[in-house]
Amino acid sequence: MVRTGVGTLPSKKSLHIESSGQLCIYCGACVGICPLNCIYLDETRITFDEKVCTRCEICVKACPVGAIEIG
Amino acid sequence: MVADLKTDVLVVGAGPAGSMTAKWAAKGGARVVMIEKRQEIGSPVRCGEGMSKDWLPEVGITPGKWINVEVEGARIFSPSEKIFEINEKHAGNEVGYVVERDGFDKALAIDAANAGVDIHLKTAAVEVRKEHGRVVGVRAKEFGETFEIRAPVTIGADGFESQVGRWAGLPTNIALRDMDTCLQYRMTGVDSDLRYCDFYLGKCAPGGYVWVFPKAEGLANVGIGVQVSQIKTTAEARIYLDRWIEKHPGYAKGKKIDMVGGGVSISPPLKQTVSDGFMLVGDAARMIDPLTGGGIANGCIAGKICGTVAAEAAQTGDTSKAFLDKYEKGWRARLEEKLYRNWLAKEKLTTLSDATFDKIIDALAGVRLEKLNVHNILKAVHEKYPEVTKEFEAFL
Repeated sequence: MVRTGVGTLPSKKSLHIESSGQLCIYCGACVGICPLNCIYLDETRITFDEKVCTRCEICVKACPVGAIEIG
Repeated sequence: MVADLKTDVLVVGAGPAGSMTAKWAAKGGARVVMIEKRQEIGSPVRCGEGMSKDWLPEVGITPGKWINVEVEGARIFSPSEKIFEINEKHAGNEVGYVVERDGFDKALAIDAANAGVDIHLKTAAVEVRKEHGRVVGVRAKEFGETFEIRAPVTIGADGFESQVGRWAGLPTNIALRDMDTCLQYRMTGVDSDLRYCDFYLGKCAPGGYVWVFPKAEGLANVGIGVQVSQIKTTAEARIYLDRWIEKHPGYAKGKKIDMVGGGVSISPPLKQTVSDGFMLVGDAARMIDPLTGGGIANGCIAGKICGTVAAEAAQTGDTSKAFLDKYEKGWRARLEEKLYRNWLAKEKLTTLSDATFDKIIDALAGVRLEKLNVHNILKAVHEKYPEVTKEFEAFL
């Protein structure tokens, strides 16, 4: 199981989790919907597998608070 | 260095479905280990906290201090806020008690512990171990130390964002239209009514609803679920909820003291929930009622069946898929028909216009239904608005 890319999505925008938590409420909605199972939630940290992610943006829609952006 | 563990039954996740499974496996005579990645069972709460109550005796739960409010029923508000009132018995999976979910989860974990379950907190499954194609346990991380837990029966009860099920090889993916993205505030100083759980339908929450569940006088959970396939921009769940609150003076005057979010599956039942040495239960198995979004009752009911079968399997030494199918058949016999029917109803309801919702609720508003079912509802609607029921002919 490769886990990479803590804190930032592969493109430009960042996924504010560990560093700020200003948007993310660690609810896991993105984890559950990801069709490739490449997002992981520890209690206060979300990581994703940069190599697997296809930027399908489904997690962006699933996030209730807008904490995920793909630039 | 944490030593590797061996047990008969391993349960991943100590929510209601996990604790219930663990308890019934232990009562069946199995050695049971239950792991929970959080440091505190039940916290943080990610739930609207409404639940029905008629199923509690079936699974052996005694009502306790975790009950905040016992409501009389539900009120369904149409887009123009016509009201259809349903008494608690007919109101479905989310109406009966409004509970303190962290207290509820802890009470169930205490029941499990009393039955002999070994509970490990701050312990996350990081990998499902397989040998010769069958699941033999997990690699787990407890306080940062990785070790192995081996068990002839491993159970995934790790909630909506379940990874254990996918790692075990069971397809649990859901379509965008089969998920709601949810956000809820706990608000104080609001005009909620202690007698009712309220549901607001229509474009205020596309493909879902706004809920108000009373926690105490002036205190309520005010939340929203929006179908992901109807989301157009980022953070829309929050935008819709804030807009709804703004439009309702009885809530706009309140203050938020808590915020929770999460995903809720509103999908048809999974095709498969067992494999060799492995079972999936609760929200992880997509057992949430697709119409109400309620998951606690179904998770607990399936958990009892799951735990009972797990103990039998461990004791007979047969933990093959063929044996564990007893669980698959058991929960399907108890829950599947309703899950599927409610999914069909959800598929229809998520397409209705505000005008249609208004007509349906208006037609029902003054009617006393003997028994609340689709047929009786449609009959009542047909008498007042025959054109509306045309859309539902497939259901009759």
